[in-house]
Amino acid sequence: MMFLRQLRGELRKLFARPRSYLGYGAFLVMELIIVLVYKMTDGQVFMRRLMERNGYESDFYFSSLTLTFMVMLFSMFLLGSIFFALVAGDVVAKETEDGNLRLVLARPISRLRLLLVKWTATALYTFSFVFFVGITGYLMAVVAVGWEGGLFVAEPKMKVFAVYPEWSDGITRIAWGAAGIGVSMITLSTLAFMFSCFRIKPAAATIITLAILFVDMILQNFPFFRPFEEWFITWRMSCWVYLFEKDISWAKLAESYAFLGGLNFTFFVIGLLAFQLRDFKT
Amino acid sequence: MSAMLEVDALNKSFGGKPALEGVSFSVKEGEIYGLLGHNGAGKSTTLGIILGMVAPDGGEAMIGGVSVQRERAAALKRVGSIFEAPSFYEYLSGWENLRILVNYSGPFDPVEAARVVEMVGLTERIRSKVRTYSHGMRQRLALAQALLPMPRVLLLDEPTDGLDPEGIKWFRDFVLGLRDKEGMTVLFNSHLLAEVEVMCDRVAILKQGRRIHEGPVRGLSGEERVFEVDLEPMEAAVPFLELQGCRMLGSNRMTMPDDVDPAVIVAALVGIHVRVMAFSPVRRSLEDLYLEITK
Repeated sequence: MMFLRQLRGELRKLFARPRSYLGYGAFLVMELIIVLVYKMTDGQVFMRRLMERNGYESDFYFSSLTLTFMVMLFSMFLLGSIFFALVAGDVVAKETEDGNLRLVLARPISRLRLLLVKWTATALYTFSFVFFVGITGYLMAVVAVGWEGGLFVAEPKMKVFAVYPEWSDGITRIAWGAAGIGVSMITLSTLAFMFSCFRIKPAAATIITLAILFVDMILQNFPFFRPFEEWFITWRMSCWVYLFEKDISWAKLAESYAFLGGLNFTFFVIGLLAFQLRDFKT
Repeated sequence: MSAMLEVDALNKSFGGKPALEGVSFSVKEGEIYGLLGHNGAGKSTTLGIILGMVAPDGGEAMIGGVSVQRERAAALKRVGSIFEAPSFYEYLSGWENLRILVNYSGPFDPVEAARVVEMVGLTERIRSKVRTYSHGMRQRLALAQALLPMPRVLLLDEPTDGLDPEGIKWFRDFVLGLRDKEGMTVLFNSHLLAEVEVMCDRVAILKQGRRIHEGPVRGLSGEERVFEVDLEPMEAAVPFLELQGCRMLGSNRMTMPDDVDPAVIVAALVGIHVRVMAFSPVRRSLEDLYLEITK
């Protein structure tokens, strides 16, 4: 019960920050841009050709479900990584910088418990934010192209290709996909959270996290590293796309999420050790 | 009275530079104890160690007989603290700040919280965002969070910094009231010597990480009594006074041993035909003592 009460307080702080609303606003603008790009420009032509070439009727599959998939894919890739690194990078470092943490650490709570509460709040925030993007992205897509039509998924990097003519199947996969992205993004948040526990500025925690992820992403595309791509964080984070396969490869998913879970645990422990060893002056 | 707060042989260095060297003191239950010293003397480090926020290199702090270093949660169960310029979550109301902070100590009791908010005079503004608070209101909110749950030991780190004279007086009366009514033990860390002198029962003075003085504030025991004198002729008076154990400090000040009665001395001076135009005790303020000790 105590843990839940403390968690509620941390969530209240996360959701009440003005930055959260700016984040929601930024994502809405991003989603709108992606929907407009697919609605008005050559992006639509490319998608339609891809569908036609594979023998699917583009008028049916160029739908709100397909657009929602594209919105989630691109907004999480382009903006999500920055936003989650920013939020999680602030969680401890900003409170240390602002001095809020002094009032908390003066209370009879262990540092382990404090970090557990903060990490859980960050993970829940990350997870729920992805659903916000999925739901608002779908609503925008419905406004743009109507609610009817099937889901068309083509993700060459992870070698996933699938179609769902039934709306109910498509929306179910979209919901699963959102959950998968949410879990994947927690690794990014945990990495930023770990740096946030160090004696560094909040902005530094965010920048280091993003730098690591971008280097990881770039390196895995080098021909030399191709055989080792499954050892890269961002490759494992992309495993959520497997949730769109006709026959879901549960073993591959479990392997990737176990890999990410191990990373999360390691990042948390390193962050905790750094935090435990720090002196906080009054 | 037993010691409520004990600090034993604390040592701490930052980057090889010693910040505390063997600092010890104890504060009795219901006592207000002042911690004085220049910037960098080690006051905040001492407070940090007492709160378990700074790990000492040696020594330990005990609250109510429980070691902060070994059983931090149990030791801090009934400790409230206020820091200089306390930082709250500006985008939340005062009430939400209290709820979040108190939940880190135990269940938040709205009735008790409302009572404490009333005590500190913040009822009307407690639902407003903290960013709209004045410095004085923030300090009252800091006091409210320190009193939830009601502590047995209150640690105050420069609590009156930046307050106006009215605010300082209110704060002083409030803390003195807590001691008198609740029997609270208070450790008071401040630069404002006048405040320390009015509030504290005893003080310790730190200099470069060492405790260089400890004693009661009123009477400053252990010091010699100093008198301001104007005697004529001085040449006749001085040998007589020295025979009584007095010692001249310049031309018109002298010290007198505790066991000598000033009235008897004055009568004896008159008896040897010395004109006594002035013979009055000089009360040394805490500031005098502080400046003398730390110079």
